[in-house]
Amino acid sequence: MTQNGPVVVKQLPESGTKQRRKEFLAEVRQLAHQSYRPQLIVDLPFKKIGPDTLDLLLSCVEQVEKSEGRVSVAGASPEAAVILELTQLTSVVHVFPSVSEAVGVDVSYPIDPLDQGDSPDMVA
Amino acid sequence: MELGALVVTQGQNVAEQTGSSAWPVLGRTVLDQWVERVQTLGVGTLSVVDREASASSRIRTMVDWAKGGVEQILLILLGSYAEVDFADLIRFHHQGQNQVTRVFDSLGPLGVSLLDRHTILKDPERNELLPTRHSSRYDFLGYSVRLSSPGAYRKLVEDALAGRCGIQPNGLEAGNNVWIHPSAHVDPSVRLEGSCYIGPYTRLNPGVVIGSGSSVEHNCDIDIGTSLERSSLLPDTYVAPGLHVRNSVVNGTRLENLDRNVSVDLGPLGLASRRKPLTRYSARTVALGKEIHEPCVTIPIKRRSADQTTLPN
Repeated sequence: MTQNGPVVVKQLPESGTKQRRKEFLAEVRQLAHQSYRPQLIVDLPFKKIGPDTLDLLLSCVEQVEKSEGRVSVAGASPEAAVILELTQLTSVVHVFPSVSEAVGVDVSYPIDPLDQGDSPDMVA
Repeated sequence: MELGALVVTQGQNVAEQTGSSAWPVLGRTVLDQWVERVQTLGVGTLSVVDREASASSRIRTMVDWAKGGVEQILLILLGSYAEVDFADLIRFHHQGQNQVTRVFDSLGPLGVSLLDRHTILKDPERNELLPTRHSSRYDFLGYSVRLSSPGAYRKLVEDALAGRCGIQPNGLEAGNNVWIHPSAHVDPSVRLEGSCYIGPYTRLNPGVVIGSGSSVEHNCDIDIGTSLERSSLLPDTYVAPGLHVRNSVVNGTRLENLDRNVSVDLGPLGLASRRKPLTRYSARTVALGKEIHEPCVTIPIKRRSADQTTLPN
């Protein structure tokens, strides 16, 4: 049996705002540290994504995966969705058209056969 | 009876925005395909003119030919690929004693007309832009594609790879519908899955996967581990490692995604770049024997056999 953690929606800062990005990653790190299997929904309100955005998104995935959580991207423009698919980030993040569609969808990882006997309590 | 052919290419602006007749399809541009088709007729004179060049120069070319004794002029406004049987078109034109014959497919005019010299000399201004009056209609039922979008270009590539049209890939068949040009470098670890084309001087690095229905034109470089799925890379394109290119056309840094109908610039992300073109190779060089940069070039045509269309070294 699995149990999903908190669902948190955050807006990704645009490229160029270095301080905001640093703060954003610190918040994600804290979320991952304080919860088990969190679902982080990253709102991507801007049309184009730059290399900084991709880096930040990967860092988020890295942090959230430490708590066996999952990152979703919501509101990505068609251009951004193409970049996510091209860079194969869609293999580690779910992409939804909007935040409302991302909330409530079970995006937990497929359970590895070796983990099937583990209870959440044991893992936690 | 002497025949002349005037091929009017798409303007540069149009060409960059749409699936262009200047883009190669499995090693040969659509312009090349038309020129080769015209050459089989044994035309005396062939001219390739840019659509953005002044209309008067095109008219002057046709009038000069008509005055010089060219009996009929085949006018091709590029914008489509169609396997028109020109011999049958000429026969139809003769039998009907037509002044102007225009070729149509099920979607409308294909931009191909056959004009009599008397018509050109009588009213050159009107004839140049495909007259609608006093013209006869030749219905073409064979293979045709309008190159109006990257999606249309991809359809032509897939049809060519599947043998649904008459385009012959410029390469050697290395497997079932797998075509590789001898000058391409393909790492032994590369996986070629199903029908695909690898063009001249292209480099496929370790771990690259080329999916069925994909084409990589000349002088491309696909970096380690990148995969192509139903996609085309246009000439002189570098693609970064570890990418998955799906249902797209990549032209330098520009990626046209057909699923979402969007165009994305990959340059700022460092995911693709334009390679320096090879001076020793051009797809057009193969068909015409010379580069065409001038707005209007007249090329005396000699009949060519298929084995003359080999690559320059």
